[in-house]
Order: sequence, then structure tokens, then C-alpha cells
Amino acid sequence: MARESSFNKKSRAVLLVVLGLFSIGQLFPLVWLIDFSLCKSGDVYGANILKIPNPPQFINYYVAWKDGKIPQFFINSVIVNVASVLLVVLFSLMMGYAFVRMEWKWSNKVLTYVLLGLMIPIHATLLPNFVIFRQLKMLDSYFALIIPYVAFSLPQAVFLMTGFIGSIPRALEESAIIDGCGIFRILFQIILPLSKPALVTITVTTFLNTWNEFIMAATYLTSDRFRTLPFSVYNFAGQYASNYAVQFAVMTIVALPSLIVYIALNEQVTKGVTLGAVKG
Amino acid sequence: MHRVLSDKRTILLLVLPGLLIYTFAILFPIILSVYLGMTDWSGIGRPNFIGLENFKKIIFTDTTFWKSLRNAILLALAYVFVQHPIALAFAIFIDKVGGRAEKIFRTIFFIPCVIPVVVTSRMWVSLYDPQYGLINKILDFLHLGFLKQQWLGDTKTALISVIIICMWQGFGWALLIYYAGLKGIPEELYEAARIDGATGVKLYTKITVPLLQPVIKVNFTIAIIYALKQMETVYLTTNGGPGDASQFLANYLYIRAFNSYQYGYANAISVLFVIACLAVNVLFQKIFKSENYEF
Amino acid sequence: MSKKALKVVVSVMLIAALIVSVFGLVQGNLTASASTQKTVKIKFLSNLPDRTSNQGKLEQMLIDSYMKANPNVKIEVEALQDEPYKQKFKVYVATNQMPDIFMVWGQPSFFLPVMKAGYAAEIKLDQIKDYGFKTSSLKDFMYNGKLYGLPRNTDFMVLYYNKGLFNKYKVKVPTTFDELLNAAKVFRKNGIAPIAINGKDKWILAILYQELVVKESGDQKLIYDAISKKSVAKNQILLKAAKDLVNLVNVGGFQDAFVAADYGAANNLFAQEKAAMYYMGSWEVGMAANPNFSESFKKNVDATYFPIISGGKGKKTDILAWHGGGYAVSASSKVKNEAMKLLLYMMHPTRWAKIGWQQGLVVPGQNWEKFMTGKETVLQKKLTQIFSSATSVSGTVWQDAFTPNFKTEAETLCQMLVAKAITPEKFLAKIEELAKLEVK
Repeated sequence: MARESSFNKKSRAVLLVVLGLFSIGQLFPLVWLIDFSLCKSGDVYGANILKIPNPPQFINYYVAWKDGKIPQFFINSVIVNVASVLLVVLFSLMMGYAFVRMEWKWSNKVLTYVLLGLMIPIHATLLPNFVIFRQLKMLDSYFALIIPYVAFSLPQAVFLMTGFIGSIPRALEESAIIDGCGIFRILFQIILPLSKPALVTITVTTFLNTWNEFIMAATYLTSDRFRTLPFSVYNFAGQYASNYAVQFAVMTIVALPSLIVYIALNEQVTKGVTLGAVKG
Repeated sequence: MHRVLSDKRTILLLVLPGLLIYTFAILFPIILSVYLGMTDWSGIGRPNFIGLENFKKIIFTDTTFWKSLRNAILLALAYVFVQHPIALAFAIFIDKVGGRAEKIFRTIFFIPCVIPVVVTSRMWVSLYDPQYGLINKILDFLHLGFLKQQWLGDTKTALISVIIICMWQGFGWALLIYYAGLKGIPEELYEAARIDGATGVKLYTKITVPLLQPVIKVNFTIAIIYALKQMETVYLTTNGGPGDASQFLANYLYIRAFNSYQYGYANAISVLFVIACLAVNVLFQKIFKSENYEF
Repeated sequence: MSKKALKVVVSVMLIAALIVSVFGLVQGNLTASASTQKTVKIKFLSNLPDRTSNQGKLEQMLIDSYMKANPNVKIEVEALQDEPYKQKFKVYVATNQMPDIFMVWGQPSFFLPVMKAGYAAEIKLDQIKDYGFKTSSLKDFMYNGKLYGLPRNTDFMVLYYNKGLFNKYKVKVPTTFDELLNAAKVFRKNGIAPIAINGKDKWILAILYQELVVKESGDQKLIYDAISKKSVAKNQILLKAAKDLVNLVNVGGFQDAFVAADYGAANNLFAQEKAAMYYMGSWEVGMAANPNFSESFKKNVDATYFPIISGGKGKKTDILAWHGGGYAVSASSKVKNEAMKLLLYMMHPTRWAKIGWQQGLVVPGQNWEKFMTGKETVLQKKLTQIFSSATSVSGTVWQDAFTPNFKTEAETLCQMLVAKAITPEKFLAKIEELAKLEVK
């Protein structure tokens, strides 16, 4: 919105200062973390708020990378997250369409049933799921995480999708149906491109939630082969409790991938989150 | 056309995969959980059915349960009355600033949201540390030493310290959603209001806030659900301590199940937890509906 | 519509199936390549994620040497920090899915339910008759006269201190509680944290409370009896000890926000020489040899008895000691015999005890004095002396002597006491209430 007409330079400067100060507040903890990840472990006890690392202790990162088995956990995290996100996107699109556009008796009831999932704490399902997964011989596998991640992300995704599809004009579909298109062609050729913003939102929320999750990961996985990053970091950081610098280095390394992805895809993420949220 | 849109087989194929996975990983366990909530199962051996005994105990004698619920509600209130007004104000600021700055600030404010909670929680534990933490050092630096606290280590400040972490982490989400809402308000409405003589703050309270109502509602709903389901941050910082000063429901039921060998009892908590979530949400929807804005 | 729709449906399902199976394949391949060799796989659940120092190093060393000696055996270790360890352990227990060999704390609050449920395999006493375990050390690993686990260490509480800091501020190493309070005041004044303690972990607070009870009463049994008889609230000695603890908090005896400090934070504070004392168990004997710590710290670290209380009846040699950590084998393991062999291999006195002691990594569960070489670190010597001079020992600490829930609640109450959320009187009343609920 162009409101500059009634908005002079002076008040803009004031706004910039306010925003600037607040964003320092938001980011300073991270700067602090990175700063001391490059210092010697004991430096953190010094009186200074920040310290210029002299010389920078890159060894911390080396130790963190090597002992933290970062590459392996990272790959596991990527596999689990990509699979979960893809499935959530696919299912929420399909379900969203069925709930909003298709005509069936149970539509509302089933939708309510799915949305109830928003209120359910994962911790109530930890042990029963452990039993079920064991019976199905799924423990200690990627499935043991993908399935619950998809299940727990679906309610919110369906919630967003139903809202979004509802806001898409029906005209396009109607003509497609008259042309004899089937539902799935409509879904993937018309609805899918149109709901891109909502799908981006779903991708971002699902990704952030599953990327962060560690309690299920701790419970359902036993070997390092399938472990994902967050729990490993938690465990590793505890183990390096006596060495703050290495601990901070691990934390920085783990924070980086999502940070890089976010900064690279910043525009799409913002658009996705905003559009999805407003229509949702 | 109706035939296409009401084809049973298609509907089934669209809904079934998601529904199955959801039912399998959420409904089954919850049903099991309701049953186990009515037993005295310790996690070992056979469960004995004891009816509503656990529920009675929780509701009438378990002070930690109520404190956890209270803490969750306090967190929700903090979101709604502290985090969200600030987020809304900053969304307006960012929108007003425009240009490159708009984009940069939008990005910066969202950054804490993309950092894993494991990292931010451990980081905040370090920030709060009285021996080497940043917070007390900054207070010293600003000659505000008298404000120094034991933060997570004091019953009086532990809860508020945890709430601050949660608000810090989730600020970007709230802000971005309001920002999106602002972008969706047509410029003509502002023009019309200006012609009517509305300016400055008035413009916002009279036009922006009412028009943002649907966005605010979505945002509040998300915030309240998040507050009730809070687990990771507490687990990673205070684990509910000191005592139960900063306890939250999800963390509490986790402790009961996995530290106290009271699996039946923990399941009863989780059933009540789900009910509490539903109740708070229904209540909230009601309150919101009664306040009708006219525009 | 249906033909076209069906086609699309099929392809959607195929895509979904493809996504899933790609990941399945990746995983399948990994498993396949691992299972082509004919090996015995033993799952080992450990609470020592740090495999490069202290006990974790020793454990890994013995596992490696066992695999070297038995090439057909593959041991898979799952190592978690204490808290996640306890939680994961309970998941295994609740689903009767114990790993083949696992670490246990030989405490009724932890191991008794497992033994009762028959989840641990019996260890025949004649198999370990030459292992040098004292009968008393096996007590809490036994149920109905049968043995289900072997302790790995001798655990006892001491007061670690930093000689350098005591010299620098001209403070006498405290031998009485009053001296301790005075030392705390001096260190406080100089910006040094007097005692580092991990209050977030709660158990340490309960142990410290018991330490004070013993020093007040000189009676190791007192606290257990009071709880068993449910007469806690009116016991003047228990009250005095609770007041002592609060008193120590009030003079700033612990580091700031000690209630929120976890194990690593407290340990680090002491190791960074920012705290003068450290109340912890003998399992930290490896501090003096830990390559992660500074030379100056390793030169200064020392250990002493917990101070006595003037007016109290306890001697400095009345110590808290027990056999906590150990190992057990799963009764339902498919490789039970192999796992048992591994356990007996590891706990053979020439391995865990001898190697562990001589490398300065542990204070073993078996008698270690015969393995002394004279090259011990200061801590090893001091700890040996403290333990061998003991006139009475506590056995399993009070909070662990009853049910799991008793432990959780009692420890939380201790934390509330030191956080001053409850008064000493209220604390005892609550403990009594708890005893009535939990102790049969």
C-alpha cells in the first residue's frame, strides 16, 4: 500500500529506529551464540557481552561435525522431512478438495473428526504407538517417524486447505467438468497450481514442525542409522555439557540448514505463509 | 456435473489415504489411551480396570495438574495480550516503512521461527544463566543490576522466563500473519476513512483492527492451541521446575508416564487434556462470535 | 468419468507408493547389507553417550575388545543421557521389549519392578563366585534370593574442592557445617560460587538432604525408618536437617540459579574454576584425568569428606555409599546366552575393575585396592581413603528405596524446599503424606 503521501520522512526514521532496535533484540541471542561458538569454552564466563574470537576456534566446529555425526543425522532428517511434507501436501490437497467441493453426506462430520486432531497432544500417543509400531515391525525405521508426522500435520494442513480451496472460484472447474475432465485432472491441473500459496504454507509449517520434533524420534528410533538431528543434538549437547563452545558450535550447525533454506526461499515462504494464513 | 462431484468411489479415494494414516496414528492410540486412563497400569504387567478413579484423583487432589493448566492459560493470555498486540503493531510498522526495509525486517523477525526449538531452548538456558548468561550481563551493562534475577532458578521468575522464550520464538509467525492480513485490506477503505476525517491511530483502531478480525481470530486460535500443547520448550529448559512452578500439561503427563511408572494415570491426564483443549477452544469461539464488528 | 478418474487415482496412489517405497528401499538395502553376514547381534542400551572419556570410554573399550575376540558378534550400542535414558528404558519396559543387555540402577525405585516382572535374566551366583563382589553390593540387584544384575561401580558422595581457590582466598577446607557456611560467605564476597550443584536434576538435592540427616543424627537408618513408619512430620532431626539445607541456600552456598542448573552446567562451573566446591559422587573420579579440562584445574582438584555438624551425632566417616549403576540381561532376549557371556566378560575383575581403575576412569564395584599401582591421581587416592575409612554406609539412598512415584514426588519436594516454595515443616508434612500413599 502506498501511504507515503500522509507519511513524512521523520516518522519513517522513527519507525526504522524502533524496528531496528527490536530486530536487534530478536537476533542478538543468535549472534551471541555464534560468537561464543568460535571462542574458547571458558571465554563465555568473561565479563564482556560479546568477545572477538582471537584467533577463531574453528576446531569447535570440527569436533562438533565429527563427534556429532552431523552428516548422517542431517540426511536422515532430510529423508524423513521430505517424505512427510510430500505426503502431507498430497493428502491435504486431496482431502481438502473432497471436503469442500465434493458432495457427500458425511463430509462435515469427517472434517470435524480430522480437525479434532489439532487438539491432540502427541504425548498421549507415544506409548500406544510404540506398541503398534512394534507389532508391525516398524520401529527403528523411517516409517516410524513419517507416519506419525504425517498424521499430526494433516489436521492443520486440511484446515488450511479447506479454507483456501473454498476461496477459489468454481467457474474454472465447472467448465472443466463440462469438458469432461475427471476429478483428478481437475485436482492436479487446476486446483494444484491455484493453491500453490496454501501448499507453500503447508510445506513450511509441516517442515518446521517435523524438523523440530524430537520426542517421537527419541522414542521410536533406537539406532543412529535413522536418528534425526534434533534429538541427536539434544543428546550430544548434554554429552558436551562441559564444553560450551562445542555445544554452541553444534547448535549453530543445526540451526544453519533451515536458516539457509529460509533466507534462500524467503519470498516464497513469506508469500505462502501470508496468503495461506489470510485465506485459511 | 453433480454426478462427478458426488461419485462415491472418487471421494473414497481422495479421503481414504489421509484418513487411514490419521486414524491409525492418532485415533487408535487415543482410544487405547481412554481405556488405559481407566486402569492403574504402571507400564509393567497387566492393567487393572479401576473406572474413573484416576480422573477423580486428578480433578480433586492433583494440584500440579491444575497448576499446569493454569500455566498454559497464562501462556495463552501472554500470547493474546502481549505478543499479539506487539506483533500487530510491528506488522503495521513494517507495512508503513515500505521499500527495502520492509522486506529486510519481515525476514529478520521470522528468523527465530526457523531455528529448531532444541537450539533455541538450550540457547536461552545459556542466556538466562546467572554465571555467564547474556541477560544479567546486559542488565549490568545498562546499570540495571538490581533487576538481575535467577530467572529459571527461582519459583517467582521461572514461568515468566519460559513464557518469554515462547513469545520470542513465535513472534515472527504472529507478525507475518498480521502483516498478510494488512496486505489484504483494500486501499480504498483507507481513502474513504481519510475523507471522513480519520487519521493516525484512529485510522487503525477504526479501520484496520475491525477489518483484520478474521485474521485475528485465526491467529488467536493458533496461539491458544500452541499454548495448551506447549511441551518442547519446557522440557528442554526447566522441565517444569522449580517444583512445579513452570509445569505444563504435556510435560507433566510425560513425567507421570515415564518417570513415575504411572501410565494409567498419565493417560487419564491426557484424556482430560484433550477435553480441556476442546473446552477452551469452544469457549473462545463463543466469546469471539459475540463481538460483532460492523463495517 | 470413472475410467479417467480411476487412471488418475491409480497414478496418485502409485506416486504415493513410490515416495514411500523409495525410502523403504533405501532402508531395506541398508538392512539387507547388514544381515548378509551370519552374525549374532546384541543390542546394548547404555546411559553413557560420551564414549571418549570416563565410564563410557571403558564400556566402549570392553565392547570393542569383546567384538575383536568374537568376530561373529556385533554389538549395537544405543547410548542416551540419563533423563532420556530413563524415559526410553520405560518405553522398553512397558512394551516388554528389553534390549539384550542394558544398564540399570540397582535401586528399588528403578530395578525392582523390572525384576518382579521377570524381564531380567537370572545370573547364577556360582558364575560370579570368583568375581570379588561383596554380597552387600549385590543386594539391590537381587529379588527373591535370585541375582538379576551386576553393579559396575561403588558410588559414594564426597565434597570435591578446588585447592587453588581455597588458597587464593585463604579459606580453610571446611570440616564442620559452620565452616562450610563461612567459606560460602567468603567465596560469595569474592564472586566465586561456593558449591556447584545440579539442582535441576533434583536427585542430588535429595541426596544432600540425606547427607545432612546422617550428619545430624549419626543414624543411617533414621530416614528410611521414619518413612516406613510414616512418622516424618514430627521428627526433629529431619526438621533440623531440612533447616540446615535451607540455611545453606540462604547464605548463598550454591551457585546462582542452581535450581535450574543441569549436570553439565554444574560440572562445568567447577571445572572452569568458577566454583570452589562441587558436591557429587565418586563417579566423577575421572575429572582429574579428563583431557577436556584445563591443567590448572586438574592440578587443583581435590576431594574431602562432607563436613560434620557441630551438635550433630554423625561422624565424617558416616558416608552415603551404594552400588548404583550396573548391567542386566533381558530374560526374553533371543541371544540371551551371548548377552550373558558379554556381561560376564565385561564385569570380570580383570576388565571393568582393573582396567577401569588403572586408567582412572571409575571406582569399581569390586574391591579395587589390589589393582593399585601407586600411580593413581590425587582424586583416586583421596576417594580410596575416604571409602576405606568409612564407619557406616547408607546403601541405596532414601528416595530410591521405595516406589518410582515416591522418587519423582520426593525429589520434586526437595527442589521446592531449596527453591523456598515450601517451608521445612511443610516439606516434611508432604513427605509424610507421600509415604502414606506410596509406602506399603
